[in-house]
Amino acid sequence: MSTATATDTAPALRAKDYKSEIKPVWCPGCGHFAVLSTVTKALAYLQLRREEVAMISGIGCSSRLPAYVDSYGFHGVHGRALAVASGLKAARPDLTVLVAGGDGDGFSIGGNHFLHACRRNMDMTYIAMDNEVYGMTKGQASPTTAPEWDRCKLTPHGTGVPRFRPAGIALAAGASFIARGFSGDPGGLTRLLVEAIQHRGFSFVHVLSPCLTFRPEHKEWKQRVHPCRLATTNNAAEAARLIQEDDGKATGLLYIEDQPVWQPENEDHADLSEIEAEFRV
Amino acid sequence: MNDNAKIIETVPEFLAHAVALEDESAERYEMLADSMEVHNNDAVAELFRKLMRYSEQHAEEVHSMASGMTLPNIPPWEYNWNCPDMPEGGDCISDALNYLMTPYQALNLAMHNEVRGRDFYAWVSRESPDAEVRRLAGEMASEEQEHVDLLQTMLKQTDITSEAPLEDLDPPNMPDG
Amino acid sequence: MSTTLFDSSNPARAIAITGSGGSGAVTTGQIMLAAVARAGFYGLMTRSAGPQIRGGESAAMLRYAAQPVACMGDVFDILVGLDWKNIDRFIDEIPLSPDSFILTDPDTGPAPDSLHPAGAKILEIPFKKYTEPVEGGRINMAAIGATGAIAGLPLDALEAAVGDVLGRKGEAVVASSLACVRAAWTDTQAMLCVTPPTGTAPERWNISGNEASGLGAMRGGVRLVAAYPITPASEILEWLAPRLNKVGGVLLQAEDELASVNMIIGASFGGVPSLTATSGPGLSLMAEGLGLAVASETPVVVANVMRGGPSTGIPTRSEQSDLNLALYGFHGDAPHLVLAALDIRDCAFTTQWAVRLAEHLQTVAIVLTDQSLGQSRGVVDPPDSYNGDHRRIRAETPGDAYQRYAITADGVSPMAIPGTPDGMYTGDGLEHTPAGIPSSLHHDHTQQSEKRLRKLQYFDYGEHWAVQSGNGPVCLLTWGSASGAVFEAAERLTAAGSPTRVVALRLLAPLRVEALREALADAETLLVVEQNQGGQCFYYLKSHDVLPAHTRFFGRPGPLALRPGEIITALDEVK
Repeated sequence: MSTATATDTAPALRAKDYKSEIKPVWCPGCGHFAVLSTVTKALAYLQLRREEVAMISGIGCSSRLPAYVDSYGFHGVHGRALAVASGLKAARPDLTVLVAGGDGDGFSIGGNHFLHACRRNMDMTYIAMDNEVYGMTKGQASPTTAPEWDRCKLTPHGTGVPRFRPAGIALAAGASFIARGFSGDPGGLTRLLVEAIQHRGFSFVHVLSPCLTFRPEHKEWKQRVHPCRLATTNNAAEAARLIQEDDGKATGLLYIEDQPVWQPENEDHADLSEIEAEFRV
Repeated sequence: MNDNAKIIETVPEFLAHAVALEDESAERYEMLADSMEVHNNDAVAELFRKLMRYSEQHAEEVHSMASGMTLPNIPPWEYNWNCPDMPEGGDCISDALNYLMTPYQALNLAMHNEVRGRDFYAWVSRESPDAEVRRLAGEMASEEQEHVDLLQTMLKQTDITSEAPLEDLDPPNMPDG
Repeated sequence: MSTTLFDSSNPARAIAITGSGGSGAVTTGQIMLAAVARAGFYGLMTRSAGPQIRGGESAAMLRYAAQPVACMGDVFDILVGLDWKNIDRFIDEIPLSPDSFILTDPDTGPAPDSLHPAGAKILEIPFKKYTEPVEGGRINMAAIGATGAIAGLPLDALEAAVGDVLGRKGEAVVASSLACVRAAWTDTQAMLCVTPPTGTAPERWNISGNEASGLGAMRGGVRLVAAYPITPASEILEWLAPRLNKVGGVLLQAEDELASVNMIIGASFGGVPSLTATSGPGLSLMAEGLGLAVASETPVVVANVMRGGPSTGIPTRSEQSDLNLALYGFHGDAPHLVLAALDIRDCAFTTQWAVRLAEHLQTVAIVLTDQSLGQSRGVVDPPDSYNGDHRRIRAETPGDAYQRYAITADGVSPMAIPGTPDGMYTGDGLEHTPAGIPSSLHHDHTQQSEKRLRKLQYFDYGEHWAVQSGNGPVCLLTWGSASGAVFEAAERLTAAGSPTRVVALRLLAPLRVEALREALADAETLLVVEQNQGGQCFYYLKSHDVLPAHTRFFGRPGPLALRPGEIITALDEVK
């Protein structure tokens, strides 16, 4: 794990240069403001050229992020951001690819792509903003909502279904970088994002980002979220135990390991005439 | 106070912190102003924009204090704040934030942030081993105090009305999906 | 026993070979196709199989001639039974006549009763006997020799073909196979004294429809393919994977079709022409993603190899029943391109053209082929290449005022490719302003919808929208693989003194209404021919008001191919 060291030269681009002119429509108090802020800080810290960054998203409040960042972006359909990002990265390995989405987009309809993206280990960063609710569609339970939450019309007695546990599933699916951040700890989150982008492979950053409109009780996360008590590990078995015992509110870099990265490896530039010759009778 | 905070020892280091603090503060107020504008709360939007301009001005002053110097490029997570997060910008989870918030509530929020900023500078002006650092920090603490005083005045002049805004009778929308 | 079984002045033959349990019927067909090629002919080979992965009953059908062959004709001249297990599965696909011959080895038992009604002549040939002296000798090799002799194919062509197809199995296999071929051919030739005719030998290719689709994609510039395997499209992917690598491209195996379509959108957004291949069930899954490509104006191409539907249907057989899905399958007003290849060669041309059009017009192109084209092999003239210059219009130096979805005269907005400074924008499935900012306003939706329609409607597609032949008051209108039988029917009718014209559509959407009206002008008898239950193209054309009221539809769902003779009969009933 490496952290960039401070240099003595002033940066050319500042965090605000990575913000687009479009004003976010998130509710005041939304955790995603901090995610936007920390993303711009991370990009500024790394001094990435804006035109070489692409931010891909699906549908949901979290998925509005690309429009607010001054980079290339693609706002696709619900649940498919990781697929769009994978195609983009396969075609353009030179770009820095960031993926943004929420708990519904990522873990419900997007669940299958999440598994395979972790497994494929392409070099990109997935920022999943988890507010344990479907905000955009007015407050239904999401896969990470606790089974007893009964404040939604679709599930008036609670879902009765245990939570989806993103970090554990990411580990089992083969992700090589698993971190958890909190919108209420922007300094810590910025650092995790920088490390995630620098990591060669699929970096999963699970961000706890409360929705004060539909889950106002989650302001108490400020008290419940805590730094992970164990050090970062590169041992998958240890990470599995750590994550199994995790209360879901521990922040930090939980697991990191260098694993083979999927990327196209061909330098060939044959022309078609060779290929056409195969058909000749 | 964060007892583990490292003491700030040099002028460039101090100015780097001050720049970060003021920039962050300006950014924060701008985000709040934009957010309020988008949600059609013009009175509060205007207020936050005013506060943003004060922070921007302060940031410019710090930049000119720093001219000629090379400031260290400190990673955002390595700042030595004396509290768990950024004094004037860190509190992203406040239940006071609401599209219906009143100017009074906005001023209180700002007050909370400016007080923390002032306290940071005051701490440095007391604890730094470097005389120049202490002097500069003292100046900034005074300036922050002016902000605090200004906010106090504005609070006194502002209608308290009720602490909790009136309920919005309309149901929520679902714009994208 | 006649010494001349077939008229050697007309070296056209249709041969079917059936067998099971590892007897190698398909390999037999492949070798015969290669032999036909070596002998200087054109040919077409299709096959049919039971549901077993291996060892099931299978049949290979082959037709060859001195001019290009685009369908199986009405009747087979020779049916070779390597054995007769489960032949009933294929009986309907192998029509015979009293002039046909059935080759059977008395050792495997008599030809089944179900074959008798055709009145074909039985020829007993002892395939097994030829294999006995040869170590590793195989019955199907003896059948190749005997059949080749009866059909009038020269021995050297058959021997060369064995080398072509079995070379990679090693010398021992080739040697034992050649021994059986020779023995059977020589004996049979001596019995029948058939004079092998010779064909001319223009440059020809041996290629399948799926391979041609892959080639067309590469010729068009596709360098990224993301796909999920599905019958009968998987061979496109298998063919492309190593070859894309050779030219610096990449094939990404997706976890499902939902991923495939979104991956190619991502790659295309990144500036690389991209394609996926699938069949009906996969295309259904891709509908939402393709709508996103239309709305965000991201060029993508889908090669859809149609099979029996609906739902899981008949995966291994052909049908032309996905037209409705291709035309109407996206929610909202989502104009896009639909093209269909007419024959095996045309899979290359049409796919290449589709890629160029999609890139230039920044839209979705669905290229329809089907199992009968995709999984058949042809010995054909080299496929034409599309020579137009259309390509993606990039915003190379966007300034501050760059608008991704700017309204332009032709409706196409220059696209900034990631990596280009100052071109930053966010592509969106949400309706948007010209700058790409989400909008729910009437003005923006009207303006952008109109732009997306206009860029396709008013584009000059040139002459390739259809292939036409002949003239006269009788007109056959068709698309896709049905074209083969339609063109042959028209040729026969015209040669017999009834001039018949054909319009075979290649560009189905947007429909070239004026050009089509002109092509159909003065047709007194009009028959739309296609292989589906409901007349999908027939009703599509009717909805555009281009068909005169007296137009009729002839067709049926798969798996039985439409035959020229049936089309002529249907036309008679309509005239």
